[in-house]
Amino acid sequence: MAAASIFAVIIFVAMFLMIVLDKIERHIVTLGCGALTLIVVFGICMRSGKAILGTLALGDFFKKDFWYQVTESESKGVNWATILFIAGMMVMVEGMAKAGFFRWLCMKIAYMVKCKTIPIFITFMIMSAVLSMFIDSITVIMFLAAVTIELAQLLKFNPVPMILSEIFCANLGGSATMCGDPPNIIVGTSLGFSFFDFLTNTGLIAGICLIVSVVFFYFVFRKEIVTEGGKDVDMSKFPNPSEAITNKKDFITSCIIFGMAVILLVSHSATHLTVASIGLFIAVVTLITSGKDALNLLKKVDYKTLLFFIGLFIVVGGLEETGILEYIAQFIESISHGNVMLMIAIILWISAIASAFVDNIPFAATMVPVIQSLAATSGVDISTLAWALSIGTDIGGSATPIGASANVVGTSVAAKNGYPIGWGKYCAKLAPATVIVLALSTAYIFVRYL
Amino acid sequence: MSQLIISVGREFGSGGRVIAENLAKRFNIPIYDRHLITEIATKTGLTAGEIEKYNEMPASRLVSRRVRGFSNSIEDNIAEMQFDFLRKKAESGESFVVLGRCSESKLSDFESLVSIFVTGDTDKKIERVMKVYEMSEDEAKSFIIKKDKKRKRYHNYHVGMHWGDSRLYDLTINSSKLGIEGTVDILEKYVRARMK
Repeated sequence: MAAASIFAVIIFVAMFLMIVLDKIERHIVTLGCGALTLIVVFGICMRSGKAILGTLALGDFFKKDFWYQVTESESKGVNWATILFIAGMMVMVEGMAKAGFFRWLCMKIAYMVKCKTIPIFITFMIMSAVLSMFIDSITVIMFLAAVTIELAQLLKFNPVPMILSEIFCANLGGSATMCGDPPNIIVGTSLGFSFFDFLTNTGLIAGICLIVSVVFFYFVFRKEIVTEGGKDVDMSKFPNPSEAITNKKDFITSCIIFGMAVILLVSHSATHLTVASIGLFIAVVTLITSGKDALNLLKKVDYKTLLFFIGLFIVVGGLEETGILEYIAQFIESISHGNVMLMIAIILWISAIASAFVDNIPFAATMVPVIQSLAATSGVDISTLAWALSIGTDIGGSATPIGASANVVGTSVAAKNGYPIGWGKYCAKLAPATVIVLALSTAYIFVRYL
Repeated sequence: MSQLIISVGREFGSGGRVIAENLAKRFNIPIYDRHLITEIATKTGLTAGEIEKYNEMPASRLVSRRVRGFSNSIEDNIAEMQFDFLRKKAESGESFVVLGRCSESKLSDFESLVSIFVTGDTDKKIERVMKVYEMSEDEAKSFIIKKDKKRKRYHNYHVGMHWGDSRLYDLTINSSKLGIEGTVDILEKYVRARMK
């Protein structure tokens, strides 16, 4: 077992380093390391077919619980529910983007607030948070940043403060629900939490933090977000929002499917449909209604991310099976001397700091078994630790330009359009905002759960 | 061939820039080098000095990330803008000479492209750099190493193949053997032959 543990750690560390160095595509890294885990750790060192089968977890597809879950259950190994749900949402989002939904929504809101910069600034922050509760933040920021630049060029204001605030709010919104950010899906499906559990816990925290963030960004950026010379806006130059709709029928269909996805997610603890069922259902409905374009939609799905997840879960499975994660849990317990407050603060802040520099998905996947073990040994409620982990990984990523995917996409869209955002400019405003929001979240968790 | 695009890759000190300028004069076509920086400066609102800082530099993998084809490295984005600029020029049917910018690979799908790599003997390169930049031999030596290292890293970061690898170019030529003028003469003949 010692050799298995050593190899599991070596493979995991090598995987993490290769993801950070970004020399090889990350899905190839995780799949390669996943294959090594299966062969070297489980096959050669442990000689355990059971560990291989348990980690691959292919049997999950044939369990009723995977599709329809009456009682909460925890999963181990490859988290197929997460993968299926993300794949389903990717198909849906591709359909929505093709129909012009996101561009229309951004334009419509700008139009409704009569293209005044401060109201656009505030509504776009809120819209970024709300959309990211249901849709991946990459898509949200991709469209929002592009429209922000378009508006900035039309209305002659600096789009950088607005894009930075949108990025921050997208990450914040993602922390509010189970499907908002990949770490939450992993935490939720692994520990058996529902959409509603997230909404009433991390959702409330995110809601309070959103109010604080809007106020914070308003005071920080209010002088920068003014039109050149403070001129009034000529609405006649503004493009009609309906021009964004590429096909009315597709647009209505995508709105209905999105509505269905939201309803199914909000009610899934009552309907007992799992996120895997919802993801599959939404994907199938989108593909059926898109007719001839179904194949194109499928081709646009980001398979590399899905493969990245599969490899990642196998590597983390290696750490789990060899008991390494239990050691980490014991370590956290020993340095906190059983002090629950300290334990929560360690989980939240370490997750946040790590997520500010490395991908939060592998970090969350690794930490889930750690908090499971910590809860079992220390007696702390697993849900409290889960909310601390979710908040830390989701929000911590906002602190640096490389901390979360939304940051990369937002700053990239800005740079492509002639507004480069370096580390200094980014961190000067978003790092303090991240610290404020994390401090507020820590205080909230202490007051509410302890 | 109604359109002519000449891509000139070069080792530092080989006289590649002067060769490219002479070719542009002989074929009476514009040359894109520093012009790309001015073009991007007007487009971005950055100063030419700021762009120069990131020009022909590879992104640092530790402080930048790439997500679904989006990179947040300023170096990457400036490089992409230059590649886009060159592509648009090429698509518009314009003839031009371009210096570096991975153009031999980025424009490889254009039939009108003639790609050249200019190399040189180390002693001749040092001699040239000492003269042009008024440096000592040691300074010139380390300056050449530094510059070539930067070009190599930039090229290999954006293109799958290695900088200076003869398989990437139509012609690789050592400018030390015939001198700048002689090299330009040979290259002109080659390009004219290609144009037939």
